[in-house]
Amino acid sequence: MENIIEVSSLAKVFANQTAIESVDFQVKQGEIFGFLGPSGSGKTTTIKILTGQLTPTSGTANVFGESVSQLKKSEYRRRFGVLTDNSGLYGRLSIYDNLKLYCDLYDVPHSKIDEVLDAVNLKEEKSKKVSSLSKGMTQRVTLARALIHEPELLFLDEPTSALDPTNSLHIHEGLRALNAKGTTIFLTTHDMHEAETLCDRVAFLNKGKIQLLDTPDKLKKRYSDSTITVELTNGEKVILPAGSEGANQLFEYMNTDQVVTIHSNEPTLGDIFVQVTGRKLA
Amino acid sequence: MMISWKRVNAILQKDFKDFSRNLAVSSVIFVPIILGAFYGRMGVDSIDTHFMLVNMTFGMVAAFVQCCLIAEEKEKNTLRGLMLSPASTADILGGKSLLTFIMTMVVVFFTVYLAEYKPANVAIIAAAIVLSSFFYIALGTLLGLYSKSVLEASVIVMPVIIVFSLGSFITLVVEKYPILQVATYLPNIQLVELATKVEAGAGFGGVLVEFAIILGWVIASLILTVVIYRKRMVD
Repeated sequence: MENIIEVSSLAKVFANQTAIESVDFQVKQGEIFGFLGPSGSGKTTTIKILTGQLTPTSGTANVFGESVSQLKKSEYRRRFGVLTDNSGLYGRLSIYDNLKLYCDLYDVPHSKIDEVLDAVNLKEEKSKKVSSLSKGMTQRVTLARALIHEPELLFLDEPTSALDPTNSLHIHEGLRALNAKGTTIFLTTHDMHEAETLCDRVAFLNKGKIQLLDTPDKLKKRYSDSTITVELTNGEKVILPAGSEGANQLFEYMNTDQVVTIHSNEPTLGDIFVQVTGRKLA
Repeated sequence: MMISWKRVNAILQKDFKDFSRNLAVSSVIFVPIILGAFYGRMGVDSIDTHFMLVNMTFGMVAAFVQCCLIAEEKEKNTLRGLMLSPASTADILGGKSLLTFIMTMVVVFFTVYLAEYKPANVAIIAAAIVLSSFFYIALGTLLGLYSKSVLEASVIVMPVIIVFSLGSFITLVVEKYPILQVATYLPNIQLVELATKVEAGAGFGGVLVEFAIILGWVIASLILTVVIYRKRMVD
């Protein structure tokens, strides 16, 4: 599969503060790539470099096979979409008028507005002024704006941070559908559940460096302590080795009808992050 | 530089809707018109006064409104959205300036009409006013790009309004303070000189120097604006 993003030895230093330091990764065309890390770890700086909003101090960053400096050209900006924590919407205008502007800027027919509003569950609210919307609704309009031109590559910076679980789920479904149509998604989040359910691969960013990069499943297997937890009828929870040593004990519990539940003890991505970096995601 | 009229028009329509709902800024455009009506009723009829009103319109509408429109786009982070879209620098700056240009022309027209100013040569004065407006719009854009918020913009644009509205009175003290001779090359003073010559019967050939100086200011301000805008595209 072709790489849509290629980053090599990328660094950005602001005044005398290092935001990212020698970051290397590739994002394959068609995948959902999770860029995970706590606040201040350099996630947004990386997105800004990859979208041509920031110039790197050193290293290279290529998007669509071209250096990010080329992203100032119209033909490249048409190919990606960005959702950041700053809505960038016109508060005095309606949802419809905000999206109409972007339809015209991207040469997209206005009929697309209803389609994207449906995807973010806001079709009935399109005549509402943006300034009257809740934070979650505003976030959904911003996402609709990022989706309106069906970009090949979508940068999402904490897309569901202000949303309730129902709307997050709705957005996740929309993103999966978009990804199924071929859009590559670069997602930054500190929501580990979101990363686990959406991402094909994840990178852990901490203090400006990538600490781990792999699929969520492989990471969980790598950091698993290979034990199972057995809940017994008397309420006791017993931890057993997952291998042959635990098998006899488990058989005995099962044979005497004592087993209520059995769970494998895989770590969550959050557990792995804490284990690797010693920091909590917040 | 490529320009897409569809994109320019989209930004113009958006700006018109947004501006018409922003009373804090839009109400400013009535000040020169009210002053024009006031001076007209008072029977004031001198080139200096008429062009104080015209230059005030440039300061309050072309520079102030443009500065606030750009500063608000920066403050609300909407300018970044436009910059990340396929719209070119020309599309964005053209679209952002078109509303201000149209409003400036409308306000200048009503202001001079109510002030009962009847130019000896309408074509020359109209051409000079259109040319001058480009300088003030570029200046407003530049100040807007430097401002972090509408509040800051409305403060930093004040000296511009004062210097360019009342600046023509500098000519009264130039003999006393020769250093101020430099100020006579400002576009507002050149506009007054141009209008004075036109009233004395000069044609296009007689005001070429004034046109050239104003054009020089326009070109310099446009180049500076585009350079600063492109720098602002990258953090």
